[in-house]
Order: sequence, then C-alpha cells, then structure tokens
Amino acid sequence: MFKSKMHVPRAVYAALALGALVALQLATVPLKAADSEPNPAKIPRLLNGKPDFSGIWQTTSAADYDLEPHGARKDAPPGAGIVEGGAIPYTPEALAKKQKNFAARETTDPRLKCWTLGTPRGIYYPEPFQIFQRAEDLTVYFEFGDSVRTIHTDGTLHPIEADHEFWLGDSRGHWEGDTLVVDVRDFNDQTWLSRTGDFHDEALHVIERWKLLDANTIDYKATIEDPSIYSRSWNIEVYLYRHREKNFQLIENYCYTLDYDQFYPYPKS
Amino acid sequence: MSEHVMTSKTIVATVRRFAPAIGALMLVPLLSLAQQVPAPTSPAAPEAAGKAPAQPRAGGGLGYEKTVPVIASGKWSGKRLPDGQPDVSGDWSNTIANHNNFTDPQGGIPGDPQARARTLGPREERAPSRVSDPVDGQLPYLPWAREKQQEFQVGFFQNTKPEYVEPLARCAPAGIPKSFYWHGYEIRQYPGYILFLFNSGSRIIYLDNQRHLAQNIKLWNGDSRGHWEGNTLVVDVSNLNSKARLGRTGDFTTENVHVVERYIFQDDNKRFNYVATFEDPDAFARPFTVTIPARRWSVEDKSNGWHYEVPLANNPGKPPQGDHFERICVENNGGFGQVAVSAGNTGTKAR
Repeated sequence: MFKSKMHVPRAVYAALALGALVALQLATVPLKAADSEPNPAKIPRLLNGKPDFSGIWQTTSAADYDLEPHGARKDAPPGAGIVEGGAIPYTPEALAKKQKNFAARETTDPRLKCWTLGTPRGIYYPEPFQIFQRAEDLTVYFEFGDSVRTIHTDGTLHPIEADHEFWLGDSRGHWEGDTLVVDVRDFNDQTWLSRTGDFHDEALHVIERWKLLDANTIDYKATIEDPSIYSRSWNIEVYLYRHREKNFQLIENYCYTLDYDQFYPYPKS
Repeated sequence: MSEHVMTSKTIVATVRRFAPAIGALMLVPLLSLAQQVPAPTSPAAPEAAGKAPAQPRAGGGLGYEKTVPVIASGKWSGKRLPDGQPDVSGDWSNTIANHNNFTDPQGGIPGDPQARARTLGPREERAPSRVSDPVDGQLPYLPWAREKQQEFQVGFFQNTKPEYVEPLARCAPAGIPKSFYWHGYEIRQYPGYILFLFNSGSRIIYLDNQRHLAQNIKLWNGDSRGHWEGNTLVVDVSNLNSKARLGRTGDFTTENVHVVERYIFQDDNKRFNYVATFEDPDAFARPFTVTIPARRWSVEDKSNGWHYEVPLANNPGKPPQGDHFERICVENNGGFGQVAVSAGNTGTKAR
C-alpha cells in the first residue's frame, strides 16, 4: 500500500511532467514565432506608417573581425560567421588576392587609415551608427569617421551617370511591406568588407533588407554580388541592437585627423 | 602621416571624385579677385531689412553680396514640422565670400604672392568684417595670440611647418564657424535633432537640453545643444578642439572657447543670419560676435561647384528635385589649388 502510494504519485509526476512538456512545447511554438517574425503592432513607426529605424544601433557580432566561421586568433574573437553557407564564393584569382590581403591585414586594412568603411561594412563594424529618418530618406550617420550615408526612399532612381565611385555607394530604397529594401551601386574599390581582407571592385552591388524584429532589434540582410570577384552572389545576415543606455550618444570621431591633430591649434611647447 | 601611394586607377577615380571640388578650389582665388572690385553694372546698394537681395551672378560666383541683411529675432510664422520646429530643412550657403580672409572677407589673403588683376579699392567698397562686435571688425586678440595669428598668416604661404597647413587642406572638418562659409550645406531636421551636412564635416545638434559631454572630450565640431526661440535656433557649443582655423588669415581660437550660436531665420524661409558669440579668455581680451549671412538654394537655382552642389535627381516624369550625394574627403591629394600647399613643400601633404 505504502509502496503503491509511492507509485501513484510517480505516475502523477510523470503525467504532470508530460503535461508540462506539452505545455512548454505549446508555449514555445508561439514564443519562437514571436522571436523570428516581427509583430507589426510592436515596432515604432513614422507618421506615414512606415517602420521607424531612428536610433543608435550596433552589432554584437564578430562579423567585422571575420565574416566567415573562424576560431579565436590573436586579432579576432571567434565567430560562427554571418555568411550564408559559411564561405564567400571567391573566384580562384580573387581568393588568392584575399589571402594576400589577409596576410597583410595588420597594415593594409583601410580602417587603420580611418577611411570610410563602405557598405555593408559600416553596418556591422563594432562602433555605433545613428539612423535619422524622414519619409523621403534615412540618414545613416557612422560614428567611425563621421561619414554620412543617405538611403533615398522618395522614389528617385540611381543617377544616370554611374561612375561616381562613391565610398558608400548610391542607395535607393523602397518598401516591401515592413521591410526596407535598398539597392546600392556605384562604389569605388578602396574599401574592404572585413578586417580579413575581403574585398570587391567598382562593380560591387549590394541589396540590403532591413527589418525591425521588435522595437530594439533590426534584422539586417544583404546580398552581395561582384561578378569578377565572386563566382555567385552571396548573403549575409546580422542583428543590430539599439543602444538604450542612459545618455548614450555618438561621439565625433574624425579618426583620420589623429595623425596630424598634434599640430593644432598650435603645437604645444 | 601615412602616405598613400595611389595607382593610376585611383588617381583617375579620385580626380573624378574631387574634380568639382578641385575645380572650385582653383576658382576661388580667381573669383575672389573678380569680386574685389565691384562691377560698375552692379552697384552695391545697401539692403533694407528683409528686402530680397539681388540674385547671384550666373555660375554661382562667391561673395556677390556686400551687406548683411537685418533679420530680427522674433516669432516664426513660416511652415513647421509635425514636431513643431520651424521647418528650415534644405540647402543653404553663405552670401559673402569664402574663407580667404576672416575680417575682410572680400579683401583676399594678405601677403598673397599671386599677382592681383587690380589693386584693392577702399575698404568700404567691400563686405563688412565677419566680426560684428567689436565694431572695429577686428578680433580682440591678446598680444601673444595676435602674434601667433600673424605667424600663421605669413606661414600660410611659406608652408614650412606642419602647423602652417590649414587642417581643411588635409580633409579635416571645416569646424566652427568656417563651415558656414565653405561651400553650401544641407540642414535636415528630426524630432530632437538637427543635422548640418557640410562640404567638410557634419554636425548633430541635440535639442534635448542635456548637459555637455565631459570637458576633456574635445571635438572638431564641438558638442552642440540647441533649442528654438521663435524664429531663432539657439545652440550652445562646448568641447571644441579649436583645431580648425577661421580662415586663411591665421585666425584661431583655443580649446577653452565657448560659443553661443543664434541662427535667425527670416519668415519667408529664404535667408538666415548666423550670429555667434565667442568667449575665449585664453586668447581674447573680450568676447566677440561673428555674423555670417546665408541664403537658401533650391532646384530653381542652377547646380554649381560651390554654393549648391546638388544635381537634379533621376526622377523621370516627376517634378524636378535635388539629389544629395555623399561628401567624403579622406585623401584630398589635390591639395588646395596651389594655395595652401605650395611647391616644394614636404611632409605636409594633404591627406
């Protein structure tokens, strides 16, 4: 009797446990959905109803250290990579150049000269940027170098002349539901995509997809193509988190002036 | 300074990218020369308060105006943004000369070895000093600072020391107040913020009444906290590194300068005056006020290489609108049109 009494609760526990598991399962299904699919009611919006990306954003990923999966190195924390499928599909010639860049990265990464990071590197570089948004455009203001990128959302097209060779590309956006889709073209060949020497030439073409998962998280995706460098287009995805610390703000960082700022206003005697 | 060895391809790209800027830079001395003697056909009539000034000459020449219009601080009856701010967004530029000379804007650079087409006429034929107080139009330097300014002014053409190179020639931000007489610029407005996008550098004005950053943080464009008083944007600027010069005349401030700017907008939204008080007891015997007039530029104006570097957008079938491209200078190897970077100069190459 005593023994059986012992068994009864066990069965109850088992049933309870099973029930809890089922309940948990049921509970996690909607939870997971809420996590990966944005709830349209819960994201900030402009007066015109479009998602409002205004705010200061930054990645927590190790993407800038290396876009591909990598273990820890002296110059990089480990990272699972943000390239869909793992590796960037370089052509054999381009891969050789990337490897050369990699070997010389401690001196030749354009970021060391504080040159404008380019697109998409500025987005996942580990320094904040601020988005200022109006109906007609988004101004992406990078703390690094104080470079300013405008994403036009007023229906204007890329300029007819396509040889400006911009550092950040020419960005024309449109809305697909709550996703901002941006076509970026007309680059120079002076920027890298990461510290490992990932590179491109002037034919770089980036298609970005910006989506708010909730008020404080952006799901940033980009498709990257450049036919003479990559054998096919490839995709990256990274989350950007809103800075919510009290009094957090961008602080001017014209880092390319640091080499000569000792001479001004006048050399200290 | 790191040297950047440019490939021919890069040079082509860079020249193409900077061609308008370099062209404008080389034009500057010519234009300012042309402006030093008023053309007989365009008398320098003083402007009444609020009266629309004459339009600039074709080609958008610099410094076409001789006077500063009177714009009084007061109520704003123009259009507003949904958050209540006066809507002053758009493209603006200075109306009097460039940065050649801070206190005699149309007087050329003293000591300029380039031959003048004609000698300068009497001072009163040219636009007034940007220094509106003291009334003599001179910066009230302390003796040591005046000596330093004179040294910089002479050094500008000698270029024998790194500090004689104007930082702007090295792509540094034009700073305060030079950004307001160095090419046209754009104002963008948002709830809580105003952005100034200059030809060289950008500024975020915070409208949040928060405290300034810690004073040991020094910045090219300072830390700007602003608010609106009717038609006037009032901005308190602190944390300036004062590395940007005020002009090619060697004028400068120190790291302890404190600036209060008043941007007084005319109701018709076509003009504003920038009136800023500088306090800098380390270098000046008293505070001084700087006044810089500006006017709006729009698609009705022709795009040009100085005031309005705004091409028409690719917008078929729709009304014309301006397009705004990135303004990025990180390797201005074109130097300063043979002005700031003289021949034979070494070690001071523009970045």
